[in-house]
Amino acid sequence: MASRVEIRGGEDGCAEIESFERDRRELLQRGVGLGGAAIAAASIPLLWSVRSASAEDAGDFLNSAINLERAMVIAYDTVLGGGLLSPAVRRVLRRFRAQEQEHADALTTALTDLGGTPPAPPKGVADVDKIVEGLSGVRSQADVVSFLIELETAAVAAYFDAHAELSEAKLLQTGASIMANEGQHLVVLRRIAGKDPIPNAFETGAQ
Amino acid sequence: MDLDSFLRDPQSRRRFFRMSGMGVAGGSAVFLAACSDDTKNPVSLGPDESDQADVEILNGALDLELMAVAAYKAGAGKLTGDRLAMVKDFLEQEQEHADGLAAAIKDADGTPNRAKEAYDFPVLRSPSDVLRFAVDVENTAIAAYIDALPKLTQGDLRSTAASIITNEAEHLSILLEELGREPVPAAFVTGRPT
Repeated sequence: MASRVEIRGGEDGCAEIESFERDRRELLQRGVGLGGAAIAAASIPLLWSVRSASAEDAGDFLNSAINLERAMVIAYDTVLGGGLLSPAVRRVLRRFRAQEQEHADALTTALTDLGGTPPAPPKGVADVDKIVEGLSGVRSQADVVSFLIELETAAVAAYFDAHAELSEAKLLQTGASIMANEGQHLVVLRRIAGKDPIPNAFETGAQ
Repeated sequence: MDLDSFLRDPQSRRRFFRMSGMGVAGGSAVFLAACSDDTKNPVSLGPDESDQADVEILNGALDLELMAVAAYKAGAGKLTGDRLAMVKDFLEQEQEHADGLAAAIKDADGTPNRAKEAYDFPVLRSPSDVLRFAVDVENTAIAAYIDALPKLTQGDLRSTAASIITNEAEHLSILLEELGREPVPAAFVTGRPT
C-alpha cells in the first residue's frame, strides 16, 4: 500500500514525527502565496488521517472526512455572518455552505450505515484553524475569498490523497463526486478573485 | 442529426458514445467491457494481471479523452473571442489528460489506443450548440470515470483519475455558466443530469 506517510526504521515515535514534519512542510508550502492564509501545523493530523484511510478502515476515512466537511460548514457560516460580503457573493457562498452540509450529512449516513458512531460535533472556528489558519483575521471580501480558496484547495488535496489508499467502491465514487464539487467551488471562487479559474489539467490540490 | 434531436434522444446518445468507447450518463456504462460489475471493489491480482487490467481501463479513458479533444476542435470553429479562448484552454487540458494516460499505459507495458479517423458528431450550428454538446461530453466523461474509478488497481492511478474527474467538473461549471445556468448545481458531481 503506497502512502506518503512512511514508517521507517528507528523509534516509532521518531519516524512518525519525521513523516509529520515532511507533510507539514509540504502543506505549509502549499499555503504560501495565497492571500496570507496558511495551512496550520495543527491541521496535519486531520488531513493525515484522511490520507491514510484504508479499505480495512473505512470508518476512519469517514470520520476524518466528516470532520473536514463540518469544519468547512463552520468556515462558511463564519464568513456569511461577518458582514463583509456583497449580496451576490453572499448568495454564492450560501449555496456552497449548503453543499458542504450535504457532504457532511451523506458521509455521516454512510458511517452510521456501517455501524460507526459519528464524531463529536465541532466546537467552532478552532476546528477550521486545524485545517487552514486565518479565518478570524479576514478583513475584506477579498480576504474571505482568498481564505476559502485555500480551504477548498486543502479539501481537494485531502480527497486526492485519500483515493490512493481507499479501495471500497462506493467510498471512492462518493469521494470523487465530492472532490469534483469542491473543484467547482474553486472555479467560482477563483473567478471572483480574478484568478485563472482552471489553472491545471489535473486538480490535485497542489499549489 | 442536429444537436437538439441528439440531446433529446437517449438512444442516439447511447449509440454515439458507445461508438466512441465511452459510457453514457444516465445509461448503461460501457466504458469498460472488460469489467462486468460496477460495484465490485478492486480485486487482488498479480502484478502482470494488475497492469493488464489497468491498461484496459486506461485505454477506455484514453478513447474518451481523444474524443473530447476532437469534439472541442469541431466546436472551436463556431466560437469567437473569449469563448474560443476558453475552448482552446479546455482542449489543451483534455490533450494533457490523453498524454498522461498514454504515458501511464506505456509504463504498464501496454499500447495506447489512437484517435479515430473521424467522429460522427451531431451538427453544431451555433455557439450555443457547441456549449450544450460540450456539457454533454463533459458529463459523459465524468460518469464514465466515476464508473471506472474503483476498477483501477493502482492507488496513484485512482488519485489521478479523481484529479481528472475534478478538472472535467470544473470545465462543466464554466460551460454551464456560459449557458446562463447555475455553475455548481449539485453537491455531488456524478455526470448524471441534475
